[in-house]
Amino acid sequence: MILQQVFDGLTLGIVYALIAVGYSLVFGVLRLVNFAHGATYAFGAHIAMVVVVSTNFGLFWAIIISVIMTGLMTMFMDRIALRPLRAKKSKGISALITTIGCSYIIQNALMIVFGSRSKWFPKIFDYGNFQIGNVLVKSTQVGIITVSVVLLLLLTFIVQKTKIGLAMRAVQQNAKAASLMGIDVNRVISFTFFLGGASAAVAGSLISGYYQIVNPQMGFIAGLKAFSAAVLGGIGILHGAVFGGLVVGLAESFAAFYIGGGYRDAVAFIILIVVLIFRPNGLFGKKVIEKV
Amino acid sequence: MKKRIVLVALLSLLICGFAFANGSSETQKPVKIAVVGPLTGDFAEYGMGFKNAAVLRAKQINEAGGVLGGRQIEIVDFDDKNSGEEAASIAERIAGNKDIVGVVGHFASGVSMAAAPTYEEVGVPEISPSASHPDYSGMGKYIFRNNSLIDVEANETLNIASKVFKAKRVAVLAVKTDWGVTTADILINTLAKDHPELEIVGYEEILDGLTDFSSTITKLRSYKPDTIIVCAMYNILGPFANQYKDIDSKINLIGFSNAYSEQLIKLAQEDGNGIALPAIFFHESPEAKVRSFVDNYKKDYNGKIPSSLTAQAYDSLGMFAQAIEEAGSADRKAIKEQLYKIEYDGVAGVTYFDEIGDAYKTFNWLMIEDGKFTLIDKSKL
Repeated sequence: MILQQVFDGLTLGIVYALIAVGYSLVFGVLRLVNFAHGATYAFGAHIAMVVVVSTNFGLFWAIIISVIMTGLMTMFMDRIALRPLRAKKSKGISALITTIGCSYIIQNALMIVFGSRSKWFPKIFDYGNFQIGNVLVKSTQVGIITVSVVLLLLLTFIVQKTKIGLAMRAVQQNAKAASLMGIDVNRVISFTFFLGGASAAVAGSLISGYYQIVNPQMGFIAGLKAFSAAVLGGIGILHGAVFGGLVVGLAESFAAFYIGGGYRDAVAFIILIVVLIFRPNGLFGKKVIEKV
Repeated sequence: MKKRIVLVALLSLLICGFAFANGSSETQKPVKIAVVGPLTGDFAEYGMGFKNAAVLRAKQINEAGGVLGGRQIEIVDFDDKNSGEEAASIAERIAGNKDIVGVVGHFASGVSMAAAPTYEEVGVPEISPSASHPDYSGMGKYIFRNNSLIDVEANETLNIASKVFKAKRVAVLAVKTDWGVTTADILINTLAKDHPELEIVGYEEILDGLTDFSSTITKLRSYKPDTIIVCAMYNILGPFANQYKDIDSKINLIGFSNAYSEQLIKLAQEDGNGIALPAIFFHESPEAKVRSFVDNYKKDYNGKIPSSLTAQAYDSLGMFAQAIEEAGSADRKAIKEQLYKIEYDGVAGVTYFDEIGDAYKTFNWLMIEDGKFTLIDKSKL
């Protein structure tokens, strides 16, 4: 029974990790919590749904299309709503409020286009179930874990080993200096938003394929939990976000089993509060020294 | 002196004239009835059903000459988003509008109960086509329900478990709302005693709006049930059926009449087959008045099939019209008095109210087969 909870929790956790990474990427580069990320996740799931239901491309291509569309949508959001704020050197809080506004715009647009009720989503990686010892493993879960791990590795590779990743890290350390070194800061930020949106789209499609349901409000609580996962691991740090996601997923799974389904959501946040009391910068966070 | 008499006479004539004019416009004025429900959000299916049904019934009544010798019925709709706060403020607005003589609505029990004190205090008759919480109708003289009491319905789910599924080990899953938890409590602690043929082996709760059931399913499976009674609506029963049958396709699932909706089949797809539930109204019933209601509804709302609660909303409006006609007045208090005396023959059976405003009805048993709701023949069991 415990192993079963661990496995179910890991499946859930790896998807939270995928969403949390999106928060961390944007925060790392911009020092901005992108509260539109949850809505982006719902957007990705809806695009995948509409492609798979209305065409015969199949789920794989639906997710690819969703990734591109969602990535472009977040880039567009940055271009029209956030870049003007940066250009005017406005306070961080304005950008934060703007992302909250964007989140509602995206969510309401989804409600207008797709209707506000829950809709069916085809099952993903459906090749039956098998038993390993006491643990019932669904092919869907294996697929989700595999795709997420590959994607997380890919994201880490992009950030750590590629030229654009180097540029991202440079902007993270000092945007002005990076710009003086010939880095097009706005292009780097756009790319970061694209990565964040793309990972949210994959997470949204995977989760919807797992639960076989989508609705426009799905991003709200998933976004909050992933955000707390990112903070738990130390926001801005990729492996921290992954670890945080896994902790939240496992905590939820155990809470639902041992305490009761009614308390699952609270547990993730209780853990967050406790961790922050002892490690205010998150588990992997470094202390930021404010220089005047 | 003379001048004064003439003046008084003129004035009184004027007043009489006003009164008369007023009187005549009173008889022409439409009778307004409010329909309140969740018109947006996850429960919009139900709220829109209420509104559509009420508009359809009002149209039919108006085409047949209206009420009280020619007055038209006008539907005023409000969206309470299935939220208690929203419902309470809508109730204030309705109570303050003297033209509105009655309310069909408020969908969830908890929401209806948030609005009911206002209706009772001001004296607006409210008929909820859906609230089934035991405490709801007792909240006042003006508060009625055109739905069966939850203990009657919960007992039907146990009957289905034992008669249709020959269940031995029954688990209960409840949505963590006032309605869900109360229903499960009545089911397990009161009604199950009268069913010695089956055993309640486990009980789990889930949050409303949740889509991940994996831990709950693992927990439920550890009780080794052969049948699960799900005290929740289609938005939970649908995906729950998907996820449970993915692991154990032999499980029998029983829902409640508020899960009786086309959306249930859309969400559960082929995993919906075999789900059984009790319902007062069945849209494929051979009865003529049910046929004509379903046909008219489909015609007006591009092919949509009315659910049980939609039918009860349709009947609720019909009850108001009949009560107004029988009372001979569109006065809120007179309507309330008449509702207690009414015997209404509607599409969801014959209904009358008891002294606290509860309706009494009989149930059909339905099962999803090949993606369609079908009637279970009780005589063959």
